[in-house]
Amino acid sequence: MNEEELFRKYRETGDVALRNEIVEKYLYIAAVLAKKFVGRGVDYDDLYQVASLALIKGVDRFDERKGLKFSTFITPTITGEIKNYFRDRSRLVHLPRKVSELRVAIKHASEEFFAQNGRKPTAKELAAKLGVTEEEVLRSSDAGGVVSLDVPVDREGDGMSLHDVLPAEDDVFERVEDRDALESALRTLTEQERALVRCRFGQELSQMETARKLGVSQMNVSRMERRVLQKLRETMKKTMVE
Amino acid sequence: MKDYLDLRVPLRREMMTTVRLATGGVCSAAGMSYDGGEDCKVCVTESLLLLMRRGFVSAQVSFCAAANGGIQVRVTGEEGAAAVPLADEDEIALALLNALAEDVAMDRADDTIRAIVFTFGQQA
Repeated sequence: MNEEELFRKYRETGDVALRNEIVEKYLYIAAVLAKKFVGRGVDYDDLYQVASLALIKGVDRFDERKGLKFSTFITPTITGEIKNYFRDRSRLVHLPRKVSELRVAIKHASEEFFAQNGRKPTAKELAAKLGVTEEEVLRSSDAGGVVSLDVPVDREGDGMSLHDVLPAEDDVFERVEDRDALESALRTLTEQERALVRCRFGQELSQMETARKLGVSQMNVSRMERRVLQKLRETMKKTMVE
Repeated sequence: MKDYLDLRVPLRREMMTTVRLATGGVCSAAGMSYDGGEDCKVCVTESLLLLMRRGFVSAQVSFCAAANGGIQVRVTGEEGAAAVPLADEDEIALALLNALAEDVAMDRADDTIRAIVFTFGQQA
């Protein structure tokens, strides 16, 4: 299938498998372009990821009827995304100007104090010297630069990084509990109801496709689905309370 | 930048680093941003590779002040050259040039690209 046919077919069917085929076919463009931007402080892998995501988005937006070659269309799209990434990355964390200035002033004052007294100043002494509150001195020392997620959290060398100890958005233990409750709830269903769950929520088939597979009408599937969900909800609620 | 700079280079891959370094220096002298300079390097390299794939064995890279500020770059192929049709990587290179630079233009003769001209850092 040539480029035009491939995109026409995808536009007409919206088939995800076809989209994947297109993405794989043109993934080399993402790789080529990512390489062009290496050496600007961002790893190739990150650039490749940004470029690949832009490629996937671009496949959906491309209209082969406009007579443009896909490579000509997607190159500026990917380039734009990469440049946006550079721009956003440089604006990740910006300290307020006042804090940045105070940090510089603290550094100079500390050096001056050390030269005069032979020891490092306390926060109180720095605050007095700079005419700010002690809290402001402490707060601005905390407002350090960007910290890597890979930085070790202690000096014991047990390999734990900041990333390891930061709480995840979804709690793993909670997920295990949910899964456990769901498994018990599924056992209360009949064989046909379990087949419906597999089709609709495992294989993500439509109600029509599920109906064909189970040999029943779409109306039946719809009714069965409502019943099954209700049953699962009630069983899970009971399990959670216990 | 009011000066006119000319660089004549043999079109070999190992010369690209030299050209990129020189381009970076010119962009910096012209007061362009770091990102602008990096983009300009990409465009100069792509232009040279495009000419190399057309069979040129050497090229001239000329930098001069653009009308509204910024710099204009002209990359001209010298010696050699054949009418080679545009391959996929050429299409990508041209699209990349158009995405990064302003006013991209090409001199063609006998179905072959002979020179690429583009501008950087112009103020509207």
